[in-house]
Amino acid sequence: MPFVKQQQSETIGQDERKRVRDCASLELQLSDQNPTARRWAARDLASCPESSAALVEQLQQESDSSVREIILTTLTQLGDELAVASLVDLLRSEDVALRNEAIEAMKLLPDEVAPIMGNLLKDPDPDVRISAVNILESLRHPHVETWLKEVIEQDAHVNVCATAVDLLGEVGTVYSREALENLKIRFSNEPYISFATDLALKRIRLA
Amino acid sequence: MKRILIVDDAATVRLYHRMILEEAGYQVVEAINGIEAMEKSLQESFDLYIVDINMPKQDGYGFLSDLRGRDLPQAPALMISTEAAANDRKRAYIAGANLYLVKPVKPTELLTHCRLLLGEAHA
Amino acid sequence: MTDKSISQEDFYKFREFFYRKTGIQFEDSKRYFVDKRLIERIVATESGNFRNYFVMLRFETSGEELQTLTNLMTVNETYFFREEYQFQCLVASILPEITAQKKDYSPIRIWSMPSSSGEEAYSIAMYLLEYWPGINQWDVEIISSDIDTKILAQARLGNYGTRSIQKLPSHLLKKYFKCNRDGYQICDDLRQAVEFTRVNLMKPADVRAYRGFDIIFCRNLLIYFDDLSRRAAADTFFDALNPGGFLLLGHSESMSRISSLYQVRKFTDSVVYQKSKEAQ
Repeated sequence: MPFVKQQQSETIGQDERKRVRDCASLELQLSDQNPTARRWAARDLASCPESSAALVEQLQQESDSSVREIILTTLTQLGDELAVASLVDLLRSEDVALRNEAIEAMKLLPDEVAPIMGNLLKDPDPDVRISAVNILESLRHPHVETWLKEVIEQDAHVNVCATAVDLLGEVGTVYSREALENLKIRFSNEPYISFATDLALKRIRLA
Repeated sequence: MKRILIVDDAATVRLYHRMILEEAGYQVVEAINGIEAMEKSLQESFDLYIVDINMPKQDGYGFLSDLRGRDLPQAPALMISTEAAANDRKRAYIAGANLYLVKPVKPTELLTHCRLLLGEAHA
Repeated sequence: MTDKSISQEDFYKFREFFYRKTGIQFEDSKRYFVDKRLIERIVATESGNFRNYFVMLRFETSGEELQTLTNLMTVNETYFFREEYQFQCLVASILPEITAQKKDYSPIRIWSMPSSSGEEAYSIAMYLLEYWPGINQWDVEIISSDIDTKILAQARLGNYGTRSIQKLPSHLLKKYFKCNRDGYQICDDLRQAVEFTRVNLMKPADVRAYRGFDIIFCRNLLIYFDDLSRRAAADTFFDALNPGGFLLLGHSESMSRISSLYQVRKFTDSVVYQKSKEAQ
């Protein structure tokens, strides 16, 4: 038989345990030359509650996207105030991929993101407001519809409202009906807004 | 019948573009982000791509540069995004877009540009 | 009183949400199938009607209901040669590419997980013996892991009922199994071909020793994980793979809902995911 067996998880496991993987040395390994070592350090730091600062620092200078993805996974797992603050900073990044990764990470942190959502939705930069609405798309939080209703009532920017209406087609209830009808009037020259509000209203009526 | 792949994470936007294009006689397939768009592009061929920029997992730039770098039948790509900065246009063209439009797009505008890119110029 | 009606618009709304979350898209013709399962969950969760149920599904913090529903909407069984087109792709396309890029004659390493009762790992071994000529030149190591030690013991034993062997060609059944009073006993040669190990994919300490794989099968597992766990699992597989190594997911799963680490590849009927050859 040409089948062989080499995998010895037990022995390798013991070797690994001998190497001290304490939090301080893991933080040092975050800037190792080898991306594999950096990924492993980032992954293991999920069990070090104080490591957000080091992860954020590495994230800002990390050029390898695979390491960045794992740093973001760990920051999401940690989900502390510092982690969330750094994700908010990323929403302003020039790098589209990084911005979208931050949005995805924030979707998974409803309790931590909820207190700052109000401010994000009032940010002077419409791109940040669109990102905030995108976070609401998968945020498991009871206030989602309230936030969306406020956006379509108050936001002057057509694409911020358009993003919010898209989502109201899924989560909208009678509560948003009037706001949707008003939005349609406010942007009566935008066929997309008419289409999206009609769809949302139809779903509310027939639900 | 010409086939168009719409790549956008917003369900309502996909539905809106689908409705306009189907009414004009095109066949439409949808993808939610760049990775799904690539999965579909490897399995079937399209005459035109309509691609959003901001999408989870893989954005529009990433998808187009991946597509353009592959040994696949190529088709023109229309990039549609909320971002109006000149820099975004430049990036879109470098990634392999043939045209860049800013959302929201009106039905006539969408159809005119699709026909142009599909080589149906006098329509 | 439970309202068991699901309107057309409810169906569309649910369909969009479920597609976004799982990548599974239901055609209009699946309406009856979908409605039936939704109603089953509306009743089981005592939600009263579709609207309340959908709010719960959408906003429940744990995401548990979505996992339960996904389970119900997909068929998860294990049997020999399930999703055989992927094994065909393995021998026809993936292994030739792996052997071409290997610089030495080190063994080809395959990781199959979750092992469950072992059908997938044994199918791989059988497929290689039967349909891959390279088996005469290359050593192959097959490791199959699961979190559940009881199921692993069952896998090592290799005794199967008729359900497991239903798709297996009869000449292979004859060749590799003995019929006994408990069912079908897989032969010792195959039992020794696979190493079964216990692993919790979510524990970095458990998976650290798993590296240097050329191919990983992880079919119909991640779809039942929550967003963060499936992403962490895909991250883990990335470091378990050699550069240029392949990850195979189940038929209804797509990396487009999980991670951006991999390149999409297609071989005849199979979409598979590859760790870049340049990845370090």
